[in-house]
Amino acid sequence: MGEILQYIPGNGLFHRLHPATKILFIIVVSIATILSSSIPLLVAYLLLILLLALAGRLLKPVLQQMLLVGLMSIVLYLVTILTVPRGTVIGYLVPGFVPFIGGSIPVTVEALIVGTVLTLRFAILITAFQLFVISTQPRDLVHTMERARIPADYTLMFIIALRFIPTLQIEGKRIHEAQLARGYHPGEGFIGRIKSVAPVMIPLVSNSIGRATLLGLTIDIRGYRSRTRTRLRERTLGIMDRVAIPVMVVMGIAFAYAFFFTHWV
Amino acid sequence: MITLESVSYAYPRTGRDAISDITLSLKRGECVLVSGRSGSGKTTLCLAAAGILEHEYGGRKSGSVAVNGKDVGDYRDLSDLSTSVGILFDDPDSQLIFTTVEEEILSALERRGFSPEEVEERLSRVLAVTGLDGLKDRPPHALSGGQKQRVVLAITLALGTDILILDEPTSELDEKGTDSIVSLLKELKAQGKTILLVEQKYPRLAGVVDRLVILEDGKIRTEGPADRVLSDETARRTLIPDFSGIRVGNTPEKENPPIIRTEGLSFRYGDEEALSGIDLEIAPGEFVAIVGENGSGKTTLIKHFIGLLRPEKGTVRVDGKDAAKAPVAELAHSVGLVFQNPDHMFFADSVFDEVAFGVDNLKIPDRERAVIDALSTVRLEHLRDLYPRWLSRGERQRLAIGCILAMKPPVLILDEPTTGLDGEESREIIELIKRLQGDGHTIIMVTHSREIAEECADRVVRMEAGKIVSDSGAGA
Repeated sequence: MGEILQYIPGNGLFHRLHPATKILFIIVVSIATILSSSIPLLVAYLLLILLLALAGRLLKPVLQQMLLVGLMSIVLYLVTILTVPRGTVIGYLVPGFVPFIGGSIPVTVEALIVGTVLTLRFAILITAFQLFVISTQPRDLVHTMERARIPADYTLMFIIALRFIPTLQIEGKRIHEAQLARGYHPGEGFIGRIKSVAPVMIPLVSNSIGRATLLGLTIDIRGYRSRTRTRLRERTLGIMDRVAIPVMVVMGIAFAYAFFFTHWV
Repeated sequence: MITLESVSYAYPRTGRDAISDITLSLKRGECVLVSGRSGSGKTTLCLAAAGILEHEYGGRKSGSVAVNGKDVGDYRDLSDLSTSVGILFDDPDSQLIFTTVEEEILSALERRGFSPEEVEERLSRVLAVTGLDGLKDRPPHALSGGQKQRVVLAITLALGTDILILDEPTSELDEKGTDSIVSLLKELKAQGKTILLVEQKYPRLAGVVDRLVILEDGKIRTEGPADRVLSDETARRTLIPDFSGIRVGNTPEKENPPIIRTEGLSFRYGDEEALSGIDLEIAPGEFVAIVGENGSGKTTLIKHFIGLLRPEKGTVRVDGKDAAKAPVAELAHSVGLVFQNPDHMFFADSVFDEVAFGVDNLKIPDRERAVIDALSTVRLEHLRDLYPRWLSRGERQRLAIGCILAMKPPVLILDEPTTGLDGEESREIIELIKRLQGDGHTIIMVTHSREIAEECADRVVRMEAGKIVSDSGAGA
């Protein structure tokens, strides 16, 4: 089973970086990506991140995630085609030879450009976030956030949400099997599909709610929200962090300069 | 160490006391076993004794609970209390938060004010004691139910509290796993730990338990040393499942062609061989128990009978159908599979609708009659309008069987049907299964309890590492 957004033990480039460095990485990448609308620049970002993933020996899980990006890009292109109908028309979504409705949805160059920009942004953000999550142990993240004085509740919420993805996948599969054994068959048509969700989703959600109570008790009993902690096996800023942080700061400033004073981005 | 003085408690929005007038005290180095039917208040008692009801729950409370002579209300919070009391809940999944076993234990240890050296020392000791050394880099979702229970126990032990409250720490463990926990408990007792234990496996725990408490409807029915408690007939039946006289009147139709036949059945999960070369024939009307340790392939085998898994090699024929190809919905007419955890199936608003789901799916004629008949067979007709999740564990287990029964399959497969049930409830389930056999059903029961298998089934098939290693009915 493909494991979505789970920590992968390892000792590559990203594993050795301090969580704080990786958070800075995400911030710089996010801002630069969201503010850029130059396709060549966005492609360059994506290639750079994929190169970093390769260097960190995490390219394979990152590429597996690209299926999601591909699916999402179809949606993004459709939305932009529907919402940007003015401009240089290069064709129609419904071909002209179709009677009555033929030639009704124009595809414009502008729509394709916007769709490409959105897809690239989505791919970059997903990849950067994934690299962070699969190379960072939650314990290190908790420590880093504590240092930044961010309440433990937020960090715990985040790591628990990630931690339970595979558990819910496994449980969902079991529930699905139990319902199949009761002759359950997913309905037909849109309404049928929606209705057929109930026999799987209701047990899944009910069981999770029951679990949440115990999870909350566990967090309190183990004292994960307390500030006192024995300091051991802690991440410290290593040589790579000392190189990476200034590089990212310089890149951030360069980007800000380019954004405000040039037309490149 | 722990004293409860006439403690009563009702959960919010329920009129009924979950526990009522409980007076109990545990001395240093004592191990007290609490048992009783599902829904009798065992877990609530654990929550009360650990001070959790006091600190975290609303509802109606009375009486007092003291830990080490200090009222639980006088402790600052749960974290403060947890330096004296270690508690393990019955669902291990909700007690695992981090990404590896080692990280999980380490994260708990570093919040205790121990020195770094002591944290490391405790970590390596507890990994060794609980046999988790080889699993320390595993993420929680890659562990079996039994392994998760061991990890949660390891965390509780690593914290080194003098009082341990353990709610069903062995429910998902097979015989070998249970025995290793029992010897660990003995060791803890010898170290002077006070242990409040909720478990259904008294016969295996007899050597370590000093005192027994039997709960009934939230009250203590009997309490005291084993010989005194066991002289009470009801308490005895709760603690020690009695299956005597259960194996009567079976007439397996051996001369008829088998209803299930596998030949050379093999299956693998990825690279891991799960079943290899299984040849098995089951006659109509037979009661077959499939036994074996966790991971021996029992559940994998039975999933092939209803098409949830398809053989990689070999053939499976069920009731004249090719189970390697026939759709699950078609096989469901012949085979009813009751999964181990009933909560994996309930989604309807009432007991009646829950049972009707399968009946409607298979388009069984005379829907109303089919549902009512099934409910009366499992003795739940009086609860037909209740919300399924409000039933006790024992009732939910019977409802799960009723849901499948209403679909009228000739073959019934039950995966660990007595998990989490006391001796009395286990007997009720087995009696029900025997009645169903009497009605002409073929029964296949998966269990890791040798007692149940040998005392109730006509035939015992034992599996090990994906193979059948013995079959009491072979050649018969």
